[in-house]
Amino acid sequence: MTKQPKVLGILDILLLILVPASLVWIIFFTPMEAVMGNVQKVFYYHVAAAWAGMLCFILAALAGAAYLHARRLQWDWLSLSAIEVGVVFSLCAIFSGMIWARPIWNTWWVWDPRLTTTTIMVLIYLAYFILRSGLTTPEVQARLGSVYAIIGVLTVPLTFFSIRLFRTIHPVVIATGSTGESAFNMSPRMLVALFISLSVFTLLMADLVWHRYRLAKLQSNNRKR
Amino acid sequence: MKPWTRYLYMIWLIVSKDIQVEWRGKQGVPVMLVFALLIVFLFNFALQLSPELQAGLAAGLLWVSLMFASTLGLNRSISLEVENKALDGLLLAPMDRSAIFFGKSLSNLFFTFMVALVLLPVFSLLYDQNMLHLNLLLVIFLGVSAFTSLGTLLAALSIQTRTRDVLLPVLLYPLALPILIASVEASRGILSGQSKFELQSWLFLLLAGNFLFYAAGILFYGTILEE
Amino acid sequence: MTISCSSQITIQGLIKRYHFRPVLDQLSLTLDDSSFCLLIGANGAGKTTLLRILAGLARADEGEISIGANHNFSDHLLRLNLGYVGHEPMFYNDLTAVENLRHYAHLYLLTDAEEKINQTLHLTGLSQYQGQPLRTFSRGMQQRLSLARALIHNPSILLLDEPYTSLDPLAAKFLDNQLHGLQKPGRTILLAAHRPQRLLPIATHIAWLKAGKICQHLPIEQLAECPELNHYLQERV
Repeated sequence: MTKQPKVLGILDILLLILVPASLVWIIFFTPMEAVMGNVQKVFYYHVAAAWAGMLCFILAALAGAAYLHARRLQWDWLSLSAIEVGVVFSLCAIFSGMIWARPIWNTWWVWDPRLTTTTIMVLIYLAYFILRSGLTTPEVQARLGSVYAIIGVLTVPLTFFSIRLFRTIHPVVIATGSTGESAFNMSPRMLVALFISLSVFTLLMADLVWHRYRLAKLQSNNRKR
Repeated sequence: MKPWTRYLYMIWLIVSKDIQVEWRGKQGVPVMLVFALLIVFLFNFALQLSPELQAGLAAGLLWVSLMFASTLGLNRSISLEVENKALDGLLLAPMDRSAIFFGKSLSNLFFTFMVALVLLPVFSLLYDQNMLHLNLLLVIFLGVSAFTSLGTLLAALSIQTRTRDVLLPVLLYPLALPILIASVEASRGILSGQSKFELQSWLFLLLAGNFLFYAAGILFYGTILEE
Repeated sequence: MTISCSSQITIQGLIKRYHFRPVLDQLSLTLDDSSFCLLIGANGAGKTTLLRILAGLARADEGEISIGANHNFSDHLLRLNLGYVGHEPMFYNDLTAVENLRHYAHLYLLTDAEEKINQTLHLTGLSQYQGQPLRTFSRGMQQRLSLARALIHNPSILLLDEPYTSLDPLAAKFLDNQLHGLQKPGRTILLAAHRPQRLLPIATHIAWLKAGKICQHLPIEQLAECPELNHYLQERV
């Protein structure tokens, strides 16, 4: 059993403090939005989760490219870890988005470009897991998984722009005001809260990916024996 | 021969070989065509479509049936190579592996486009709307080209899994979504008589998709196929 | 196109891993120009992997391969000089024998394609079946056609992977004669077999692949000096 690195342990403890602290900050020290009320506060974690998810997928593609270049399985462990964590964050973003949408737009689901793109991304990466599980040797999993992770990220801008264009051209079924987050003006204190949640989630993402990476490493050590 | 002409010649060899195999076996295009027509009929009853169909619905139906049918062709195209490991024969040949990608995706483009050419008059008849439109053909060409290039790449991935070709739609459809949206919207625009200016952004998206997927093919096809 | 005329193959430190285990483990081997080397070894010793890497079908994790003076093994023009017969016939079932061969002749840019096709069909005794679709071919006929495909561009390097598999005695006899005629100056042949007895009279060298390494590599005349190898060969008559 390889020992957990010290930095990772410190990061764990730091996050145990930071995550509740950010929550307290958002609930008690951030002004209430005039129109939407308290439910608007979902927004801080919603955006942060979507941000962390996207970051994960980009990281996975970069790690995939590194694997194809260097052919070291370590890069593939990183790529896989990032995608798993990314899917979890994206799901958080989707569900928090739905919680927000229910009282504000009176429906659980909005075909908003950002939300839809995130959902498509989750579908893309679910397919990634199926692809890997259908392959037998770790080297092939790594090679094909890396290619798919790269292509997956490359299509995300296309998906986003196509859905956005689709929405703007069509009559808006559900009045979103102007789309999504830009619907209200953020006060400086709201921006601070957003900044805090973004930083905390970025750290949380790094921590989770790191843990998942170590798990992949231990798994492969186990299989090698 | 110069390297460049040799490269094009290799692509042509693969395309003509695929067409020859299809001509002999007739296992691809007829199946795709019948499947596409079946989907049209299924949707017709499932969604209770009337003959006074809106341009939008006709365009959507055309693209969904075309993409489903194309998926069959993509799977057929790669299983042809995997059977007897004929693909190894191509990999052994003195050419860059991206030429195999171009050959396979161009033949897939050709077959799907053939299906589209038959579907268009059928749609015109069924939904009483002239769909034989030069601009529409251009959009179909661009959309199908993007879809089949991505599909050719992903079919080479899915064929290596335990479930073989079953996985292709799951890999392909979420990635092809922007192509579907852009193709449907551009076709809808043409059928409802929108100006070129309004269609610009969709055409741009289709071109970007083509560029992206062909580039990905050049970069990754060899990597996907080597052991 | 610059193609070096020597067909000496030098392999150094080749590693290929599957499931974290090295199938080929620091394998080094030099095949002299114009030699006919038998590659022997138990099933799963890595013979097929080695041949597929040499054919450019699989990628080595580490190691160097050079052919003649050419050190850039990934250069696809090198494949102009390479013939390979694998486990599978590599043909399209719907096409006829002659159409399949024509496809390959064109891929190798042969200027006198039709003449070469006729020659190789004649050589492998398949002329009378040339118009039949491949799906009607027996395993032995497919194997012969495979050989024709590998020979059509007159390669200077020939890699044969268990060519005797599932051949009946008559077909095997035919292949014996074929292989005999394949040897010529300037052509290097590497043939993998796990029962190599019948080929000992034809081959010039023998290489023993064991646990991912070449543990013996010697000219056939020196076979007697290696009792271990002799014992191995005796076991597999």
